[in-house]
Amino acid sequence: MTTVLLIVHGLLAVALLGAITHQAASVLWPATRPAGSFTGRFRAVAAPGYANTVVVLYVLTAILGAVIYAEYRISVRVVLVEMKLDAANGSFELKEHLAAIALGMLPAYWWSWRQPDGRLRAPLTAMLAFVVWWNFLVGHIVNNIRGFGS
Amino acid sequence: MSRAFSLFAIVFAVVYPVVYAVSVWKNYALFTYHPALNEFGLGVEKPREGPAMYWYGWMATSSVVAGLAGLAACLLPEQAARRLWPGLAWVVPLCAMLFFAWLLRDYFLR
Repeated sequence: MTTVLLIVHGLLAVALLGAITHQAASVLWPATRPAGSFTGRFRAVAAPGYANTVVVLYVLTAILGAVIYAEYRISVRVVLVEMKLDAANGSFELKEHLAAIALGMLPAYWWSWRQPDGRLRAPLTAMLAFVVWWNFLVGHIVNNIRGFGS
Repeated sequence: MSRAFSLFAIVFAVVYPVVYAVSVWKNYALFTYHPALNEFGLGVEKPREGPAMYWYGWMATSSVVAGLAGLAACLLPEQAARRLWPGLAWVVPLCAMLFFAWLLRDYFLR
């Protein structure tokens, strides 16, 4: 069951990664003319439309992550400690704290995308994108080191 | 977007990471989860069988305090609310993230 939840957690994270990266690229590096290239089209999305999706995907991903976190503490973290993989262990600790802090930013992030001036959009979206990328990569690496059921 | 929600969102974004950082540092978890036993306990409890998990409790503490602070901010008069710099909504969480990178530095420097 945990493995199924982990896979769903990973799939939701992939969708979230795509949405937040599109949005971050469009707000930090806006396309200035009709996009012709791949990167231009990547940046030229209608970014405000992603805000609801990002919030829903973030909350769902975080809930699933919180559910499987208990199993991680019992069966994975112990192995990381025994193998003295301090950097991996610390990276995962940081992942959980960043996930929690980003959860608290969500109302302000959502609100910022509904403001006409949108001064807060760039920093909040960039920080959220950083957290999502960090958490995705760390989760992926730790799962490679010691996946559930291995 | 209503003025009340904007105030709530900004104050929540400011208070939540501060309370979360203090909760982790001083261990002010609203509840403890014992994953090996699948049991919850109110407040901070010592590990029973297997590890004790405080992460859920830290988030609960932060959510309750930040939620109450956000609601209280909605009652502020407009004059006082205008003094609140919206940029704090990202500056404070950024400082909290850096704080945790510092707090966990030993994992990476051993």
